[in-house]
Amino acid sequence: MRLPAGVRDWLPHELARKREIEQQMRAVFGRWAYEEVHTPIIERLDVLERGLGEETTELLFHFNDRRSTALALRPEMTTPVARLVSTRMREAPLPLRLAYVAPVFRYYEQPQEGRMRELTQAGVELIGAAGIDADAETLFMAIEGLDEIGLRDARFDINDARIVDGILDGAGLDGEAAREAKELIKVRNLVGLRKFERPALVEFAQRRGRHDAIESARAICRTPESRAALDELHVMLDRADSLGYQDRVSVDFALLRDLDYYTGFLFEGYVGEIGFSLCGGGRYDSLLPRFGFDVPAVGWTAGVERLLIALERRGKHVRRRRHRVDVLVAGSDVVAARERAAGNVVRYAGSDLGDDALVDEARAHGIPRVVIAIDGTVRELRVGPRIGDLPVPRTPSNWDAR
Amino acid sequence: MSKPPERTADPLTIAVPKGALFRDAAERLRAVGIDVPHDVGRKLTVRTADGTTLLFLRPTDVPAYVEFGSADCGIVGKDVLWETDRNVAELADLGFGYCRLVVAGRRIDRYHEGAPLPTFLRVATKFTRSAESFFAERDLPVELIPLHGSVELSPLVGLADLIVDLVATGTTLREHDLVVVEEIAESTARFVVNPVRFRAKYDALTALLDRLASVPA
Repeated sequence: MRLPAGVRDWLPHELARKREIEQQMRAVFGRWAYEEVHTPIIERLDVLERGLGEETTELLFHFNDRRSTALALRPEMTTPVARLVSTRMREAPLPLRLAYVAPVFRYYEQPQEGRMRELTQAGVELIGAAGIDADAETLFMAIEGLDEIGLRDARFDINDARIVDGILDGAGLDGEAAREAKELIKVRNLVGLRKFERPALVEFAQRRGRHDAIESARAICRTPESRAALDELHVMLDRADSLGYQDRVSVDFALLRDLDYYTGFLFEGYVGEIGFSLCGGGRYDSLLPRFGFDVPAVGWTAGVERLLIALERRGKHVRRRRHRVDVLVAGSDVVAARERAAGNVVRYAGSDLGDDALVDEARAHGIPRVVIAIDGTVRELRVGPRIGDLPVPRTPSNWDAR
Repeated sequence: MSKPPERTADPLTIAVPKGALFRDAAERLRAVGIDVPHDVGRKLTVRTADGTTLLFLRPTDVPAYVEFGSADCGIVGKDVLWETDRNVAELADLGFGYCRLVVAGRRIDRYHEGAPLPTFLRVATKFTRSAESFFAERDLPVELIPLHGSVELSPLVGLADLIVDLVATGTTLREHDLVVVEEIAESTARFVVNPVRFRAKYDALTALLDRLASVPA
């Protein structure tokens, strides 16, 4: 009776907390005029590989159907949404603002906290919009999203995927060496980077800050693309400042996200005491063209379970009360239906219970009213707390002393 | 020894390995002003005068504490990083704790002189992950026998044809008439940090990195 590794059940009180976060995220998406879409959990393997690159296949749960069509569970939502838009929404006026709250699946050899095989992503895609306004929209929406769930001190690091290419070019690395160096920068392995004997690379991978950091990168970025990206980061910081986020947004040049479709602006959000990021995203202008639809796009996503962990770690979760029931009805379908029609939450009890048993049941579940409709009469009982259930001031010494 | 730093608002938690690396790791931390006690005894953690928390851990546990953020940073041998494959950022090679991960066999088997390996090759090791990838990269089918101590005994009594083990001075190999067949990699102590904590405590961690890296090895 065991579950597979890396997946979990959600009991009612746990699921209620998760749903609460999902609703809060949906509310934020809605305020920014995003509409929710749903795509199948199963996709064709070739579709996912087209979006994610073939090296990502090892991250997938994949299998064949009985006609040997290769299928896979989606490991993220950006590729399915890109497929959806490029096949079904080509005629829709751009830009499109789409949101999702959906389970995704990853084949981790060793699942662990924050790296589960089934996880829930809440995120958005802004499709058909290039430029810094669209980039800023995703960042500021993410900040509001984390604010909304109560992580008002979450911090956000930003970068641009074009900058690292400028740095590698400036350091005179290309081909295999450049690829290797990029991997080392991504995991911030300074020891490995030192082997290239390019001090600028190490300095770059370690550099984090604000306008000063951008200026220090400019000294070694020569490509026009990377210099344009640096200019945009200045603007992004200024725009963040104008919203009062000056202490929450920094530049980190080693921030390169795992998936390889990012082409420009990038960010991640985190809180100090949790060892992994909570949300992130960026610009992926090359993704939709892979599906034959040549439009730019930017998006971000949050891991709902990670948000839960962050809140729980802080003891921030108000323990939600059990689902509230207004009335316990025994003996009559009609009475129960009338109560439901009046907007009450009704728990239906068996007609074989006596008054005492019904009152006990109501009390056990915190239900204030009992309606008993047996033998043609309708009686209503009010249920208060039992004397023994009332809180008593604790005086531990008394009883021991006697 | 430099002057102890002021007590900071953002104190660090540092994972310190017990065992072979402890003396050098403690000395290096003291050299940058962190007051590591000389005798840890049975203590699990210590709060130093500048507010730093030290966790004294089995070396193989250091990456997990750092990955989950229970420690901001730590000192650990590269050999442990190979074995644990945890998501931590490797910021500096501290230079001490030098050893080599090698494939070794009995001198009389002459594998080190190119004698053909047995068809069904058995390899005993404490370093299963590293051993597995080393033989897989060479397309050598092997049966790995995970052991937890005195690996050098296994070829002597016919449990394994080869061992994969760490060698510091080579004394243990010589004592048992074993020889290095092939060197897999060299290991030294590394300064590692939690990737997200690197951002959250950037000033404190980069300051510590600079100080650790500027101490002559």
